[in-house]
Amino acid sequence: MKTAISITDLNYSYPDGTKALDNVNIEVEQGEKIVIMGPNGAGKTTLFLHLNGVIRAEQDNVKIFGNNIGSMKTEDRIREVGVVFAEPDDQLFMSTVYDDIAFGPLNMGLSEEEVDRRVKKALATVGLEGFEDKVPHHMSFGQKKKAALAAVLSMEPRVLVLDEPTANLDPKSRADLIRVINDLNKNHGITTVIAMHDINALSELADRVYVLNRSIVAEGPTRDIFSDHVLVKENNLDAPDIFKFFKIMKCFGGDCDQTPMSIDESVKELTQAIEALEGKMSLHIHESTHEMVNDVISSYRH
Amino acid sequence: MKYPEIDKYAELDSLIHRFDPRAKIITFTLLIFSFVFIEDIRIAFVSLLFSSFILLVSRIPFGFIFNRMKPGLIFVMPFLIVMPFALDGNVLYSYNGISISYDGLYYGSLVVIRAATSIMLTLIMLGTTKMDTTMKSLHSLKVPSPFVQTLMFSYRYIFVFIDEFLSMWTSMKAKGFKVKANKHSLSIIGNLVGMILVRSYERAERVYHSMASKGYTGESRTIVKFKMQTADYGLAAILIGTVLIFIIYGMSLS
Ligand SMILES: Nc1ncnc2c1ncn2[C@@H]1O[C@H](COP(=O)(O)OP(=O)(O)O)[C@@H](O)[C@H]1O
Ligand SMILES: [Mg+2]
Repeated sequence: MKTAISITDLNYSYPDGTKALDNVNIEVEQGEKIVIMGPNGAGKTTLFLHLNGVIRAEQDNVKIFGNNIGSMKTEDRIREVGVVFAEPDDQLFMSTVYDDIAFGPLNMGLSEEEVDRRVKKALATVGLEGFEDKVPHHMSFGQKKKAALAAVLSMEPRVLVLDEPTANLDPKSRADLIRVINDLNKNHGITTVIAMHDINALSELADRVYVLNRSIVAEGPTRDIFSDHVLVKENNLDAPDIFKFFKIMKCFGGDCDQTPMSIDESVKELTQAIEALEGKMSLHIHESTHEMVNDVISSYRH
Repeated sequence: MKYPEIDKYAELDSLIHRFDPRAKIITFTLLIFSFVFIEDIRIAFVSLLFSSFILLVSRIPFGFIFNRMKPGLIFVMPFLIVMPFALDGNVLYSYNGISISYDGLYYGSLVVIRAATSIMLTLIMLGTTKMDTTMKSLHSLKVPSPFVQTLMFSYRYIFVFIDEFLSMWTSMKAKGFKVKANKHSLSIIGNLVGMILVRSYERAERVYHSMASKGYTGESRTIVKFKMQTADYGLAAILIGTVLIFIIYGMSLS
């Protein structure tokens, strides 16, 4: 396994003195799915600006596949890491969708045929075939989000970084986007790093979670992070509802091996647990049930 | 408020729409500049008729163009109102020492007709080409890149800007705000303008970040595919010929 991203002791303060990143350490393997969570203003976007060299670190603390991002040539830098920012209108700055998606590849110095091929491919990947001549102010928010992703995919980066990809999307667009990101990771070996608050998409988009609050507060598999309710509360996070529900079911005697993080996982866990009990799971109320339920609820309440 | 979509009818099909965008920009610019310098009101009027004829050929609805001409015309209207009183010359009408001069009326009308003609031609030029094509044509006509990019980004973000303004305005109205001519109202509007400036500044920074992460180094690169056809040369020749006729006829009068 190669190391895709290696960040060591990264510090950053904005010119006005706001300390945004404090001794951040992150290590991501090639092909991993990483989610970075943290409250608003935690420094997620600032971190991402370092990942493709828009903000240059003072020392060589940001390395992509072993190379220091700050000293890479522009063409190489954009080939390694593509960042999709949160607000699509900020990223569709050209007059047509085609020009926006062609922008990166043209800056890489590719031939017109290759640029054209990449634009078509990127549009097909996000499901926006035929949108070449559309202008951004005639598109829905969901379509603009997809176009912004396509404008980064056309550079065919090895590491894809997404800042709040599912925020403000309707359920269908959200599901589309999650599917595209997952497909890129699973079938094209692209390493993905995602900042988001969308806890219900977590199990699909994360192998591992970093909790960032100016510095890295915690790191680990998703389930471990959410089992630590103090950590969750202190960083303005929340656990998925299904996770909390299974914690509650446990108080009624419905115990599973692992607390599921998603609907899909819950089916698997329930099946396993019930099969282990020879086909029948019984729930009951005992002396301390209500007390335990209250504990679970209050431990995750803000 | 409506979007200032100049290229709403750019998808229609007409002789003017099919005209090569670069040739269109050059010939229309030529037309506009020569019409603006016409000294004779009769010739100016014919140039206005000629422009209306081009509008007719372009099939863009007249109301659409006229609505967009209004701001410009309102801007030059004062000339028509002030000049007849201000300019000395043959007195047309006089009342209690205030006199309307023939020359003033003549030059006032001339200014308005010239303005109407040039605005109309500009709108036809912009209205029959999609905005991105216009920008690309300017680029391929070797207009300096910073200028083209400024135009392009202004046009792109004016829509975002309007959306942002409208949403703030709506939320102010939802909270019961009414525009009144008092200090409170003014200070709130001042606040709104300040907010919009700050937001635009922040947006500019984010747009720049996103451009930088796609390898932007100051050069805007797009793929431009234009090809002049025989018909384009023909139409350009006709329009330039018309310009010459206007100029020669104008000179023969003076
Ligand atoms: N351009 C800037 N100038 C000064 N401070 C900034 C700027 N951008 C962000 N910050 C501050 O840096 C901190 C981290 O912001 P950001 O990276 O946007 O957080 P997040 O994306 O996690 O919400 C916040 O305190 C924010 O106010
Ligand atoms: Mg952010």
